[in-house]
Amino acid sequence: MDRRRLEERVMKGLMILSTLLVVGSSVCILLTIFLKGVSAIDLNMLIQTPKGGYYLGKEGGILNAILGSLVLGVGATFLAFLVSVPITFYLNLYLRRASRFSYILRFLFDVLYGMPAIVYGAFGFTLMVFWGLKASLLAGMITIAFLIIPIMARATDEVLKMIPFELPEASLAMGTTRWETARGVIFKQALPGILTAVLLAFGRAIGDGAAVLLTAGFTDSNPSSLFKPVATLPLAIFFQLATPFPEVQRRGYAAAFILTVLILMVSLISRILSWKFTQNVVR
Amino acid sequence: MNDRHWKDLIARRLMLISGSFLLILGLLMIFMMYQRSKPILALTPLKDLLFSLSWHPTKGQFGLAGFIAGTLWVTVIAMIIAVPLSILTAIYLAEYAAKPLRGLLKPFIDLLAGISPVIYGVWGIIAIVPLVRDYFMPFLTNHLKFFPFVSENYTGFSALTAGIVLAIMIFPVLISVMEEVLHAVPFGIRESSLALGATQWQTIKGAVFKKAWPGIIAAIILGLSRAFGETMAVLMVAGCSLGQIPKSIFDAAYPLPALIATTYGEMMSIPLYDAAVLAAAFILLMITILFNMAGWGILLRMERNQI
Amino acid sequence: MSILLFSVLFSSVTLKAENKALQGNLTLSGAWAMYPTVVAWAEAFQKIHPKVHIDISAGGAGKGAADALAGFVDIGMVSRDPDPSELQKDIKAIYVLKDAVFPIVNEKNFYISTLLKRGLSKRNFQDIYVTGTQIYWDLDYFSVVTHKPKMIHHYTRSDASGAAASWARYLGVQQEDLMGIGIYGDPGILEAVLRDPLGIGYANFSFVFNRQGTVIPGIKLIPIDANENGIADPEEIYQNRDEANRAIEKGSYPVVRRNYFFIKKDVGDVVKEFIRFTLSEEGTRIVHETAANLPLTKTERAKILESLEHE
Repeated sequence: MDRRRLEERVMKGLMILSTLLVVGSSVCILLTIFLKGVSAIDLNMLIQTPKGGYYLGKEGGILNAILGSLVLGVGATFLAFLVSVPITFYLNLYLRRASRFSYILRFLFDVLYGMPAIVYGAFGFTLMVFWGLKASLLAGMITIAFLIIPIMARATDEVLKMIPFELPEASLAMGTTRWETARGVIFKQALPGILTAVLLAFGRAIGDGAAVLLTAGFTDSNPSSLFKPVATLPLAIFFQLATPFPEVQRRGYAAAFILTVLILMVSLISRILSWKFTQNVVR
Repeated sequence: MNDRHWKDLIARRLMLISGSFLLILGLLMIFMMYQRSKPILALTPLKDLLFSLSWHPTKGQFGLAGFIAGTLWVTVIAMIIAVPLSILTAIYLAEYAAKPLRGLLKPFIDLLAGISPVIYGVWGIIAIVPLVRDYFMPFLTNHLKFFPFVSENYTGFSALTAGIVLAIMIFPVLISVMEEVLHAVPFGIRESSLALGATQWQTIKGAVFKKAWPGIIAAIILGLSRAFGETMAVLMVAGCSLGQIPKSIFDAAYPLPALIATTYGEMMSIPLYDAAVLAAAFILLMITILFNMAGWGILLRMERNQI
Repeated sequence: MSILLFSVLFSSVTLKAENKALQGNLTLSGAWAMYPTVVAWAEAFQKIHPKVHIDISAGGAGKGAADALAGFVDIGMVSRDPDPSELQKDIKAIYVLKDAVFPIVNEKNFYISTLLKRGLSKRNFQDIYVTGTQIYWDLDYFSVVTHKPKMIHHYTRSDASGAAASWARYLGVQQEDLMGIGIYGDPGILEAVLRDPLGIGYANFSFVFNRQGTVIPGIKLIPIDANENGIADPEEIYQNRDEANRAIEKGSYPVVRRNYFFIKKDVGDVVKEFIRFTLSEEGTRIVHETAANLPLTKTERAKILESLEHE
């Protein structure tokens, strides 16, 4: 009797320790970035674009990068949504669990998930050269969409797999077509999960630097056209950290903090929305 | 009646198209890599490409062995750190933690997923490199004078450093998938085990885990894929040193994605460089596919046994 | 005399009026080393020509070359000499800036006083970075040591960098032959040496001096014993930017490198005008002001401007 209880205590202790380590490292990263950048954060950063010589220490802000990242993220997420969601619905609703095609597709998701961001960038670069596109918002959107499709598809797939099969069965038994079942029943049930998946992909889209470096270019102005280069937060951070001027480097940390806060907000919003929509879900 | 039928058909076709699009995309990427790395195979036999240590592109020598070894060292270290910790944390969150506590902790873990790799790299340099250099390295080298701990590299930029940073990066993906899987195990299994007098941990170890294993393996495969492919953060802390195979966790490592990133710029200029770099990408892809296949093999076998 | 003055004034005014009609977009990308100066140039240029819009992205010399070759940008900023294969692909390389690469060491190094007094020769650096035969700081001509020998932590650049290429060229090899822990980026390698009393590295001119012109606190520049006499002669020692400037301009500093603009052979007026601006007196003044690179001498500039005209 005692040995079992001891084992339970020990394991529980280990678990708490490991949770603390994981959560602790997250807090540590947040704190470090904050402490290094707090001296340089001010309102101007958020509402102004760089005014010539910003990367040399003069005034201005990173509004161009903030807006650029948001626009790029939304565009890429939308494009990825158009591809990911239909395919996962197809996988879960139309195909039998053990069909060849479903194995191939799921395997592909996992492999593409692990492809380095820089290779997506290289692929995007090759496509751009092929189509004659220059470094632009559109090129960045397409490349990042490719990057986040595996992320969104996999997360959505997980959600759909969890839906008890009685649900679509019941709906189909009443004579609806599969499309109607998908749209009316499954979608409602899976909405919180799909939202989470979309927002997860969005978070990745605004945080990536390797793929945008090769495809989206950079500029000091706010995003204005699909065919012009666009500024992104990860690159703005990267450029600021790489200058020889310590005051600019400090601003780089502040920008890094802003990016992190942005992602935290996206994560919180996804939780709130998914909680709200969970009220419609059958448990 | 027909109207609904048509809608169903069209929807079905569109979904299939998007699926094929993805398939074509994937195949296109693989094809591009293969095609553009072919020139290098004409010059260097595959055996040399994979097993030669000498990397001197200007002299026409493209041996990737050092980089492949570097990738393996860093990834294995990251998995050894991340998998046990993730399993423990996922079990805690799914089985022990009260709902409000879980709601509080989960956003922090999800935050880890969203932090940009560049920031991980910077944090790695500020926090982990000194930790390894000033604490881990001196302590372990003095007390454990054997492989894989002995090293001559005292700078703190090492495979271990990269492994630690990478492990933290893959925590969210491992934990979230594992937690979902544990949640999905029907409550009845726990109930019956507890009713028989088992402790909570025994229930988890004996009953819940057995059902959740396939999902956990799937999570590990995913984390492994991600670990193989991470570029920026690892590049900044692994110590990218040319011409050597790491023989210790404290030695510098130069993983394949880092190589691709650092030399990407030279690709268009020096002849054969782009072929070599894309060959590196292709090899990375092959390694990823191999591990994925191994993982899926295990999964399929499990599913077959579980029926 | 007054007629001369008046005609000069008149022509400059009309010239300005002509320039005001210049419009269009200009994109550049490339070397970190050239980034601050080119940004300053762009700012001034856009003030003179309000209808011109310039976008600049960094990303490294390699990226600049790749983007220029692919036609992605109008001008690629490249901080190394062009490769013959690049020139074959329809690229023209225009020499616009120069700077230098300095070997650096932590000021808390055990042997700092001896290092500063004697310097290190090219041979010493080769032993550290190329052949790997010099692994300890206790170099053979230093006095007998009684403590445990201290290892040299040699840092190099992991990314394809102009600074590394120049340093390697000085040592007679290629960047890929340099041994050492590979760190990403200029600030990275500086940081690594700053934190490591046993560290040695090399960095760009623009990164080793602070705004006031003195060497960044925490590091020291290793005098390169160019004449191999075993002592660091006064002209081999640089403790501030002005001294370094003088040595570079005189031509006595051995690790100088050229920064180029890569352009395609057929470019538009905006590009040409911008390049002319960078090589003008005003452009030179801006280079001095930004203090991240060094401008070309008057004769060098005149020669290049002339070759530009013959397009």
